[in-house]
Formats: sequence, C-alpha cells, structure tokens
Amino acid sequence: MRDAVELEWAGIPSVAIVHETMAGSARAMARVSGMGEYAFVTVDYPHVPLAVWAPDEVREIARQVAPLVLGQLRAT
Amino acid sequence: MSALHAPQHAYNDGLELVEDYHARGWTDGLPIVPPTPELVEEFLEAAGLSPGHVVGTVPTREVTVTAEHVAINAVMAGCRRDYMPVVVAAVRAHLHEKANCHSTTGTLSGAAQVVIVNGPIRLDLDLNCTAGCFGPGWRANATIGRALRLVIRNVCRAVPNFLDRASFSTPARYSFCFGEDEEGSPWLPLSVERGIPAGASAVTVHSTMTVAAAVDLTSRTPEGVLDSIVAALRARGTAGDRWLGEDTNVVLVMGPEHRRYLVDAGWSKADARAYVWERAVAPTKHGPSPVKGGRPDGFLLVAAGGPGMAETWLLLPHLALAVTQPVVVGGGPR
Repeated sequence: MRDAVELEWAGIPSVAIVHETMAGSARAMARVSGMGEYAFVTVDYPHVPLAVWAPDEVREIARQVAPLVLGQLRAT
Repeated sequence: MSALHAPQHAYNDGLELVEDYHARGWTDGLPIVPPTPELVEEFLEAAGLSPGHVVGTVPTREVTVTAEHVAINAVMAGCRRDYMPVVVAAVRAHLHEKANCHSTTGTLSGAAQVVIVNGPIRLDLDLNCTAGCFGPGWRANATIGRALRLVIRNVCRAVPNFLDRASFSTPARYSFCFGEDEEGSPWLPLSVERGIPAGASAVTVHSTMTVAAAVDLTSRTPEGVLDSIVAALRARGTAGDRWLGEDTNVVLVMGPEHRRYLVDAGWSKADARAYVWERAVAPTKHGPSPVKGGRPDGFLLVAAGGPGMAETWLLLPHLALAVTQPVVVGGGPR
C-alpha cells in the first residue's frame, strides 16, 4: 500500500493489490499516509496470503484482478 | 513552565488514569505507571536529552520518535529513571534502517524484539544475565523490554489489528530483555565483537520470529555440542531475506552447561562461530541449506542463562539485522 501511495505522490497512477486478510492493515497504512480514502483491489480466499502460489494460481488471480485494476485506473 | 510537548490530561487519581489509558488503547493490556510531567522530565535528565531530541524515525508510517516519547513510555513501562539511557539505546537500535521497524512490527509472523545488554550498566541496574534471564522477576529486564514495546505500540503505531497484523503474535512481545553473562564467561562480549570499546555499555536489538532450544544433554566436547546446535538450526532454517543481501543474523544464546565444554577446550566465540557457520550453511543432498547465513560473523554468540539444563537458545531472525548501539548516560558513554 505504501508503495502505491508513494508512486501516486510521484505522479504515477497506481493500484495496490492486497489480500483480503490484510485489508485492515492497508486501510491503516493509507490513513497514516494521509490518503485515508485511497481505494485498492483485494484478492480473496481460497488463496492464502503467504502461501507459495503455483503458476496456475497466479494466472487465475491475475485474471480475477486485472479488470478491477483497469477499472480503478480508469476511474481516477 | 514545562518544556514538554505532549498533551496533558488531568485525572482525579492514578486508578482513573490507568483505566483511561486502557480505554484509549495506550497500554499493552497491563497496568502502567502514570507518566507525570515531573517523572518524564527526570527520565530525560537521566539520559541527558532534551524533549525534542529525535531518537529515530519510521518513514513509512510518518513517525518521528523523540526523547520525550521514549521517556513517557519508559515511565509507563515501570522503568527506573536510571534505565532510561538503556531504553533510548534500544529504541535507537530498533529504529535503525536495517532493524526494519516497519516490517518486523507489522508482520503476520509476529516477530519479537529482543534487547541484549552488555557492559557495566548491567550490574548497575541489576539486569539478570544468568538463571531465569528470559523470564519474569527482574525489574530491569521486564521494564526495559516493555518500554521498547510500548514505544513501538504508542509511537510507532504497531497496534494489533491496525498496523500490527500478527496472526498469533507472541508473549515475547510484552518484554524480552536480558544481559550477557560477562562475569561467567571468558569470551569477548557481544558488544565488543561488534565494535563497542571494552568496558563500555551497549544494547543489541534483534528481531526474532522463532525462539527455539537446542538441547544436548550428552555431548562432552565442543564439536558434539555445536553439532547439536547445527542440527537444530538446519531443522528450523532461516528465511534469508533478500533485501539484506548476504547478511543474516542468527543469535545463539549459550548456557553454561554447553559453554564449559568449549571454554575448557580453549574455543573462542570466533572458533565456535566458524564451526557452526560452515556446517549450518552447507548444502543438503538435494539443494541449498535451509539456513541462509552469508558470513560467519552474522552468527552472534551470547553467553547467558543458568546451570542445569544443557541448552542453547536459537533466536532466528525476521526481516532485519541485529543492530548494536552504545548506551550514553548524560552525554557520555557508560
């Protein structure tokens, strides 16, 4: 989240992709960075946050989140 | 006119204050000592620091930690004023870039920060270095470690379910502080090995994810004892955080029942470290070692603990290097 915020500060439109488990922490980081309303994309279960993902799982996650990322970039 | 900057709150009595601090989330769940302006100023004087002196920062959290912040939390933790220079050194060490406050206090794995004290100040403060040194019973151990953790919580914003996202966390996060048993060991103290002059006091702060015992009740030789430590290390492994490059710190806290076989055979810390490192990082039959240790001097050997159990404790790292800072009392080294 902080990386996305700092890229935004540098003028580069960005989207943070965060596992649902870490959404609270991401919101907190946005808040302490002075961007409490900064939107982000979440990845939900069945993919646990710290698991070693297989290539097929990574592709599946990418398919899920790509439209959300593009939608958020277009909305800003 | 007080030179302090923190907002002041009025209470009818100490109990009302303690309950309000609990309600505001300003404690670790245990009662605190009220940080009156008078006590905070006394603690600052003990460290020879002005309230606004910057002890460190956490850039990713927009946090600047001042000496006043440290003094408030040291009072709250139950420290004596003469502990304050040690607490300041511990906070300074933890806020070093390579100690990685942001990750080690926010991580899902719930790493703890262990404070290892060297030098004459251990004796001045009655800091336990021998039997029971990891546990309760000594005010200096209990409150210096707690003071660092309260700074991490109240100033660095590592509040559970806010920026602290530990899945389980650990009781070592209440407090984890002990001293090296320099009187019980002929070895060079950890601080001296890390560049602090002999006779000066210092703290080393190490973020640890796993605290595990290497028990060996039967070996009677340096090689036997150290082989058991290597086996325990390889069974656990270390993460090998890439941002630290080749560096990794593993702390080995060796009790007297293990130390004596090494000391009697004339082994120094450097001898033991070289033996352990070579074997710990050796590849397995099927690939790289589970222990990522870039250099022998990344293995930090500390003498502590009491007689009885033949064991060495492994404090395995998490996302950070161990950082050593001198203890400065009233503007000069102690």
